[in-house]
Amino acid sequence: MDWTPAPRRSSAMRREQNLALVGAVVSGAVIAGGLVLLLVARVNPDGAARMRGVMLDLTTPVWSVVRAPFDGAGRAISWAGDYLGAVSRNRAMEAELAEAKADLQRAAADRRALASLRKLDKVRDPARRVVATARIVSATSGSVVRSAMIAAGRGDGVGPGLPVIGADGLIGRTIEAGALSARVLLLTDPGSRVPVVVTRTGEAALAVGRNTPNLVMQDRVGADVPLMVGDTLVTSGDGGVFPPGIPVGMIISIGEPPQIRTAASPVGAGYVLVEAAYLPLPVVDAPPALDAPVPIEARQGKASPAKPQS
Amino acid sequence: MMNRNAPPWRLMDAAERRRYWWGHWRMGIPALSTLLLVLVMTAPLVVPVPVFPQLALLGVFVWSIFQPGLMPPWVAFLVGLVADLLFAQPLGVNATLFASAAGVVRVLENRYGHHAYNFDWGMAAAMVIVFEVLTWQLMALAGKPVPLLPLGWQVLTSIAAYPLVAAYCARIQRRAFGPDRAR
Repeated sequence: MDWTPAPRRSSAMRREQNLALVGAVVSGAVIAGGLVLLLVARVNPDGAARMRGVMLDLTTPVWSVVRAPFDGAGRAISWAGDYLGAVSRNRAMEAELAEAKADLQRAAADRRALASLRKLDKVRDPARRVVATARIVSATSGSVVRSAMIAAGRGDGVGPGLPVIGADGLIGRTIEAGALSARVLLLTDPGSRVPVVVTRTGEAALAVGRNTPNLVMQDRVGADVPLMVGDTLVTSGDGGVFPPGIPVGMIISIGEPPQIRTAASPVGAGYVLVEAAYLPLPVVDAPPALDAPVPIEARQGKASPAKPQS
Repeated sequence: MMNRNAPPWRLMDAAERRRYWWGHWRMGIPALSTLLLVLVMTAPLVVPVPVFPQLALLGVFVWSIFQPGLMPPWVAFLVGLVADLLFAQPLGVNATLFASAAGVVRVLENRYGHHAYNFDWGMAAAMVIVFEVLTWQLMALAGKPVPLLPLGWQVLTSIAAYPLVAAYCARIQRRAFGPDRAR
C-alpha cells in the first residue's frame, strides 16, 4: 500500500499553481493601475500636490545636512583662492570701477529722464517683491525632470509658480511647495519656457529647455534682425511670472534653432531669491451660464434703468 | 491548502505574538534598501544632463533576482510611486516601469534560472535601455514629453553602475539572509 504521499504532493502542487496564478493576476493589475495613474496625471497634472510636498519636506533636510561638510570645504578652498589672487584682482577691479563710475553718472541722468517721462505718461510698474531667500539644497540629475530643491516652503510664503533668481541671472520657477521646502523647475527642463527678449535687437522669443546644458530659442517674434553670437537675452516680463530684465543667457550659436548658454547655473548658485510672481493673472469669475430661455421683456428690463414701481 | 508552518497561534500570549510578527522585519529589507537607492538618486550632483545612474531600477532588478518573494511587482510598484514623487515626474511613470521590470525578471528567471554574473549584467543593460525608451514614451503619454537623446547618458552610467548595485545588494543579502541567519 504505497498511496500515502501522492495526494499531498498534488494538493501542494495545486497550491503552488494557484499562488502563481494569483501572483500573475496581481502583477497585471498593478501594472494596469500604474497606467491608469499615468492617464490621471495627464488629465490632472496637479494631483497629489500635497503628497509631493510632504516627500520634499522629508528629503530636503537630509541633503542639507549631508552637504554641509562639502559646502564648508568648498568655502575654505574659495577663501584660500581669494587670498592668493587678491592683488591682481584688485588692479582689475580698480580699472573696472573707473569705467563703472562713468557709466553710473550717465545712468543717473537717464534715470531722472525716465522718471519724468513716466510721470508724464502715468506708466504703472508693478513692484518686485522678494518672498524668501533660500539656498539650493540639491538638484536631481537622476531623473528626466530637471529640478532643484530649495530650503524654503509654504511657511516662508513660497508657493508654486514663483520666479527663482540667482546672483547671475534666472534659475527657474517653483513648481511644488512643501511646508519647509520647494521644488524649482530649472531652465534646462524640457517643460520650461521663458519669454525672453534679445537686448541688442529687442526681438522677443521663448527660451526652451532641452534636457541638455544649453537652451534653444524658439518662436521668435518681431523684426527679423539676424542674431549674433554673444547677444544677451533677458526676460521680457510676458506671461506674468518672471519680472522683466533678468539675465537669462547668451547666444552661443546661431544655427537653427539658436543655442543659448544660461547666465546662471544652479551649481554654484548657493543662495537664490524667490520673488512674488511679477503680474499674476487675475482670477475672473465666470459669468453664470444661463440655460433657460430668457424672455425679451426681462432682458430689456435688465438693460434699461429700472423705473420706480408704484 | 493548509499552511503546515503556521505558529501555534492559540497557544501564544500577546507578547509572543508581537515577537512573532516583529520577527518578520527582514522581509522589508529589499524594499527599504531600494528606497535608499531612490533617495541617493536625488543627491545634489548638478550636471545639466541626466547622468546619475538609474540606481533604483538596478536595485529592483537585483533584488527580484536575489529575493523574488520579497520584491514582487507590487512592492516594485510602491517603490516606483515614491520615486515618482521624489523626482517630480508624473505619478505612474516609474511605478509602472519598476513593476514591469520585476515581472519581466520573474519570467526570465523561470526561463533561464541559475546563470552567470555576466549574463545578469547583460540582462540589466538591456533592461535599462528598454526602461529609458519606455520612460520617454510614458512621459509623452502623461503629457510632459522629453527628448530621448540626453537619456543615453543615463543608460551608459547605469550599465557602468550595475556591479556597484549588485555588490551593495549582495552585501545586504549576506548580512540579512545569509546562511548563518535562521530565517
